[in-house]
Amino acid sequence: MDNLLIGLANIMNLKYILLIMAGVAGGISIGSLPGLTATMGVALLLPVTFGMEATSGFLILIGIYVGAVYGGSVAAILVRTPGTPAAAATVFDGNEFAKRGEGGRAIGISTTSSAIGGIISALMLIFVSPYLANFALKFSSAEYFALAFFGLTIIASISAKSLVKGLAVGMVGLLISCIGLDPMTGYSRFTFGSYYLFSGFSLIPVMIGLFAMPQIYNSILEGVSEFHIKQHVTRVLPTKADMKLMLPTAIRSGFLGTFIGSIPGAGADIAAFTAYNEAKRWSKHPEKFGTGIVEGVAAPEAANNGVTGGALIPLLTLGVPGDAVAAILLGALTLQGLQPGPILFRDHIELVYTIFAGVLVANIFMFIMGILGIRLFTKVVSVPKYYLMPTIFILCVVGSYAINNSFFDVLVMMGFGIVGYFMQKVDMSASPIVLAMILGPMAEENLRKALVMSEGSASIFLTSPISLFFIVAAVGTVVWPMMKAMMNRNKEN
Amino acid sequence: MKVRIKVIALLLCIMLTGVCFIGCSPTGSTEVASQFPEKPITIICPYGAGGGTDAVGRAVADVAKDIFGQPVVVENKTGGVGVVGMTASMNAKPDGYTVGMVAVELVSLPKMGLAPDTFTYENYKPIALLNADPCAITVGIDAPWNTLQEFLEYAKEHPGKVTVGNAGSGSIWHLGAIGLEEAAGVEFKHIPYSGGANPVVVDLLGGHIDAVAVSPAEVGSHVEAGKLKILGIAAEERSEKFSDVPTYKEQGIDLVLGTWRGLAVPKDTPDEIVSILEEKFMEAANDPKFVEFLENAGLGHEVLNSEEFVAKMQKEDKLLDAICEKYLETTE
Repeated sequence: MDNLLIGLANIMNLKYILLIMAGVAGGISIGSLPGLTATMGVALLLPVTFGMEATSGFLILIGIYVGAVYGGSVAAILVRTPGTPAAAATVFDGNEFAKRGEGGRAIGISTTSSAIGGIISALMLIFVSPYLANFALKFSSAEYFALAFFGLTIIASISAKSLVKGLAVGMVGLLISCIGLDPMTGYSRFTFGSYYLFSGFSLIPVMIGLFAMPQIYNSILEGVSEFHIKQHVTRVLPTKADMKLMLPTAIRSGFLGTFIGSIPGAGADIAAFTAYNEAKRWSKHPEKFGTGIVEGVAAPEAANNGVTGGALIPLLTLGVPGDAVAAILLGALTLQGLQPGPILFRDHIELVYTIFAGVLVANIFMFIMGILGIRLFTKVVSVPKYYLMPTIFILCVVGSYAINNSFFDVLVMMGFGIVGYFMQKVDMSASPIVLAMILGPMAEENLRKALVMSEGSASIFLTSPISLFFIVAAVGTVVWPMMKAMMNRNKEN
Repeated sequence: MKVRIKVIALLLCIMLTGVCFIGCSPTGSTEVASQFPEKPITIICPYGAGGGTDAVGRAVADVAKDIFGQPVVVENKTGGVGVVGMTASMNAKPDGYTVGMVAVELVSLPKMGLAPDTFTYENYKPIALLNADPCAITVGIDAPWNTLQEFLEYAKEHPGKVTVGNAGSGSIWHLGAIGLEEAAGVEFKHIPYSGGANPVVVDLLGGHIDAVAVSPAEVGSHVEAGKLKILGIAAEERSEKFSDVPTYKEQGIDLVLGTWRGLAVPKDTPDEIVSILEEKFMEAANDPKFVEFLENAGLGHEVLNSEEFVAKMQKEDKLLDAICEKYLETTE
């Protein structure tokens, strides 16, 4: 506790506060631009921090991380384009709000639940990290496969109206994730000899193509009117009624996000989808998900910000990064001559607690800036469509190019835009492709690694308690609704 | 929001202007070597921001900009496990203004059928080697083996049972483990982990595999924390940081292999320009600021000039022939 107070006292220093603020503001801008992700923002700013002392450098990166994970939701809600993969699950309900002219309300909900999720994860980081840390080491190939397997059942809950269409789209996503070098043997699959396809299609150009481009093709083909949905912003903070709906979901999802964040190899995108799925599963009115309800925004947003603190748990306690951003943060610490892990706690306990306090403060700033920004953000959709659409298009091109500095990715984005356009025409949801592309490689690689380790015996998935849990949960998710339906039918007879 | 759009528009304008400048390379090649460089130098990094190759490139660029008196910009051109970026720098205009970061994959990828025949180190004129990190075998602190010999003896008695993780199928660490197998006449069970060295080290920490075949730097913090131990390092000499760990050679295994990163320009670049680049980048590579950066990042500082660098690549070209052949056999 003393250490925490020292940490908090350290952070109450104008320089640190300003750095965190700048980081959060920069992070929100990066996150809200499609194509620029939290990972990229932190990676690009890393060299700038070399010249700073360790605490300053690390705090500004934390600010960017927290801001960017939140910022993705703004674009997801207002222009139906997730700013980062972590916000892909926010599109379902968030954009429905905007369609009703309640974009401001949705951003209020997303800001508040992001802050709740972030603060929960910061508190978990401070108080229980040593216990959660060792849990992270229990995950190996079998457990990761089971987690991905369970994750894929989420397709059922994000399939919108038709389960068959959702499954079909999900399968296509899995097939797409097979493109590239075989993870075990290095054999090139479906690359047609093109070196650009060696690492498969990058997720971000595909995601931007599927979500943003259909709107643009639509406006090219059908013309744009000056018509736009007026966004009414009467208040920026969620109402009492909204808070009541939101709190239980946000708190649950915040814990879930922290937990998923603490597992190395599972990040904010997986956490957001899982939280959405769980919120729907435990809801009294699951059929309303996807129509623009409070819980549908609160769950993914609380979870993805929950990951921020969660990912730092194994990073700081074990020196093992909890997700892609944390891997860069690991680099940031080692470059300062600091070794994350038990040694950091022994020799630099003050720095550790200053970082803890920094995560807390960054979430508070994110909340303040998000709430203050609502009126500004919502104005983006008040811009006439003949300005807005070309701007979105340019941002999509720049964002796709920026991932690998490759024009190939721009073509991928445009190509998937055409696919997305036709999918929209036949009422197919694009999200299962994104989910399958996130989980497909994880499932494949870990399935095969686990089988190599067990010498081909599938029992490895059932003898590990964690793996067994996820497999049972996955089977239950699929079988339980069917059984329930059958029981109801029997009752009626 | 209008303000934001204005800012975005402004940024776009700046970017587009920048693109125009890239297009406007000087007509006619009347540059005199003595004036080189007259404009910014671009280093093409074939791997993404945040990785080891990128870190080395950015660090050397930072030091070199003062030495050249011109900006030195790092551009990440990723894809094709490095083929895309290296092909771009190999085929760049041979005027010395585009320099490629090259890595050991330049030699290994074509041997595994993952790059076209035209993808060869012979299409480059090397400038300087900046960094090298050897392969090593690391095990959990509670593992029953304390030397490489004990480990290999156990592997010999249990062929195909010892699980050795590496950082990706066909990666240099995978090839390093295969090289060790060949040199010692044993057979491991290789487990490739994609996504760099972190995931495989985590699995070793969790006790899910027996050993990892990555560099000492990538396990360094866990070794210092007393959770892992390094059994041997595939370098010519012992490392400064882990001076109590013997090399493979000291333990009777004749294998020196590892990753390395350096700079090179297209082979048609005029010799005068190559020698200017070599001189200035060598100066940057030996700059205390660069050395300190590598040390903090846990990267090995090994500098070779153009000539020595060519010799190194020729030597590795031969060494990797046999190892890559074995790799192709085992993965088929």
